[in-house]
Amino acid sequence: MRPEIEEYHYDWLMGNTLKASAILPLGTKKETELAYRYVPYYKNVVKSFIDAGDPGVQTLVMLAKYYENILTAKARGKKIAATTFCNSPVILYAMDIVPVTFEILTAVGAMVWKRGMFDYMDFCCEVGMPETSCSSQRGALGAVLAGLCEQIDMIICDTPGVCDTNANAFAFASAYMDKPFFQLNYPSSIGDNRSQQYHIDDYKEMIKFAEQHSGNKLDYDRLAQVLAEVDKQDAMIADLEDMLMLKPTPVPPLFNLALYAGRFCFSGHPQYTTLLESMVASAKQNAEAGISGLKNREEKLRVFMCYIDHYTVDVNFYNYLEERGIVHVGSILTRNFRDNTPYAKEMPGSTYGVDTSTPEAMLDTIAQMNARLPMVRSIRGPYDKKGMWLEESLVCAKMYQADCLIYNGTPGCRNTWGMVKPFARDIEKHGYPCHIMYDDAFDDRVESWEATRERLDEFFKIRGLL
Amino acid sequence: MTVFHDAATRVECDSIARWKKDGKPVVGYTCSYTPAEIFYAVDILPVRLRGIETDGMEVGDSYFGPFICSFPKCILQLAGKGRFSFLDGAIITPGCDGMRRLDECWRKAGEDFEGIVPDYFYYFDVPHKSENHGMAWYIEEINQLIKSVEDHFNVNITNEKLQAAIREFNKGRRLLNEIERLRCEKDVVVSGTDVFAAAVAGTVMPRDEYTAELKKWVSALKKRKTSLSEGKHRVMLVGSISDEIDLFELIENTQKALIVGENLCFGIRYEGNEIAEDGDPIEALAGHYLGSSVCPRMYGKYKERLAMLKERIGQSRAEGVIMQNIRFCDLHGAENALFERDLEAMGIPCLRVEREYGPHIDIGRMKLRINAFLERIEGRKKANKGDGDET
Repeated sequence: MRPEIEEYHYDWLMGNTLKASAILPLGTKKETELAYRYVPYYKNVVKSFIDAGDPGVQTLVMLAKYYENILTAKARGKKIAATTFCNSPVILYAMDIVPVTFEILTAVGAMVWKRGMFDYMDFCCEVGMPETSCSSQRGALGAVLAGLCEQIDMIICDTPGVCDTNANAFAFASAYMDKPFFQLNYPSSIGDNRSQQYHIDDYKEMIKFAEQHSGNKLDYDRLAQVLAEVDKQDAMIADLEDMLMLKPTPVPPLFNLALYAGRFCFSGHPQYTTLLESMVASAKQNAEAGISGLKNREEKLRVFMCYIDHYTVDVNFYNYLEERGIVHVGSILTRNFRDNTPYAKEMPGSTYGVDTSTPEAMLDTIAQMNARLPMVRSIRGPYDKKGMWLEESLVCAKMYQADCLIYNGTPGCRNTWGMVKPFARDIEKHGYPCHIMYDDAFDDRVESWEATRERLDEFFKIRGLL
Repeated sequence: MTVFHDAATRVECDSIARWKKDGKPVVGYTCSYTPAEIFYAVDILPVRLRGIETDGMEVGDSYFGPFICSFPKCILQLAGKGRFSFLDGAIITPGCDGMRRLDECWRKAGEDFEGIVPDYFYYFDVPHKSENHGMAWYIEEINQLIKSVEDHFNVNITNEKLQAAIREFNKGRRLLNEIERLRCEKDVVVSGTDVFAAAVAGTVMPRDEYTAELKKWVSALKKRKTSLSEGKHRVMLVGSISDEIDLFELIENTQKALIVGENLCFGIRYEGNEIAEDGDPIEALAGHYLGSSVCPRMYGKYKERLAMLKERIGQSRAEGVIMQNIRFCDLHGAENALFERDLEAMGIPCLRVEREYGPHIDIGRMKLRINAFLERIEGRKKANKGDGDET
């Protein structure tokens, strides 16, 4: 790692950058415009969020708050748990543990910095992780391994057998830093009694682990409060999902990112509720006016991102969708599979409900909710089996009236690169044009954004979509 | 030894051909977590699937994406080319992301290449933890597998038959352990290449035939006097899955090294512990196959694996460790880095190298790296002698 990079405490640097951007809109428009001069490389990102109105500003506030929690954790006597996006932070908030979600932090860094997270990603390779391992962990993890972040106290992941590359990064971090490690583990099937029971048994073990290493006993009254907040949030997510189905959809592309980033950062926490309230209000306003959520108000195409989005510098991908008049009807990360969502009704056994009546009911709720998070729900088994990726993608494509599907991931996504070719072929057989992107969602060095954009344009043109 | 080399270097070796000639079924499996005894108990030949003898990758590359390890691609290539036509069944296991996707890729390739998917095609869901509910899940998986095999092949897998199969497999395990002891002697009378060929052969040959051949070979080895280790560096080979005899030959043909131990998915590491011959055979199989946890797919067990590796290095008197990982095999790639850090800190030289599986396109590069590593060991040895240190 370059010595000058090592000079900066990464969490402090990023936390303060986000804190500054969160207060930027508090000034007058002229003041905000003037302030952009002083952040030439960050300007495009912060401008994109501020231009998205209050929901965009609330997203910046939420991310700043997320970092503030991390930076102040030790002073507040709290333990920090490194975890992954598909492991809900709900239980950690209920147990007063501060989550550090590597993929979120990598995405934020990749969008905010002109150089992206390259230096930190490469540091992971310097200390031994293969360069073929997933960039989504390698970014934030590199800063942690370099000792440039707040000290991690424990590591919890839930991806073994769903995304081995992900699980491997957390296992490596545990061995490298000699930190306590727990892996939640999912069977290849979902919805059957045997799998449901496995989810609960495994989750109980995870709680024991978290209790042991945080010194905090799980307080069921506190868990009930957090789950009540989840319930409230799920209702608003369902509203947004409903509005995504409208044609034209009143939901702007950037809201998709905010929706799942919020869930990964602050599920069950009032901070996410505030963001959702803002997004619902903004989208409802558009819906009542019968207008598209796109800035130019003209919806030309509806795209379903069947895996993840693209997160490199300047939120280029979302701005590209805006420029081309493309509606983003969600990705694998958007959906939560709560039992009140319309798409979930098409897939029996795929959902979770919220029941806070007894401690056992709460444990069941949280274990089944966790098992329905993106990727661990539908990438766990063969893609063409019941409730898995193909069924989910087709249900969503139909319900959200998608014109085409696009696969995007990282070269580390071996869980999907292992079968995305036959998957795409099956999708095409159902009448949906399907494009496979060969870039890295977090690392523009694999394929430049300019090349990615050209390939997207080529796909839309050749398939007669735009 | 010839019979072992034949079994280890040919996809459809003579033993398999003879078995088929007798009209008996053959079932292939992809992962060391599959209890082969279940099949052998009812006269079904369990054959570990391998990717040897591939000469192209057009089928493998058509279904798998570009960022996937070449081992499952080679298996798919062979399947697509009809080289597994002798199989009556196949068991796919989620050993890692690449291997588990063999399930879909093989089935989907079957839509394009008629007859390449065996009639019996089964997904065996092995958990990633061996404690409590993980073990209970695995035991249930074994029970379901047994029921499925019974239904499809019209057989009855009883506890008695399972125990008999375990006893037969244990005979081979004991003999392989005897060879391991010979490899730990000061003067080693057997090459790593031959031992590995014998170990790989055990995953494809009928077990009684294998035991008989192994017994003869061990008896002959015990009478050998010529040391193969004299003047050579004793090394261990660890890392990604490999069933390639030529990788062993590549190292030993330098004439500077003898492989005195390995920690590979094929090989002797799974044969170290015998399976209990009394009690519930299913629990015994589960305890052995899942409970051993010697593969990095069982996350969070690095310290246990390091301890095991250190013990084997000590027993075999290895002077250095060659760690290889197939490109895109992050599990071994990352763990090799940790091993390297910890073993080098203990003064054990390590070589970490990334490579491709299958046709050895990078043979020259590998030779160069291995020779340089052996020179490093040589230099270290000379330096230690100069210091009066005989270690």
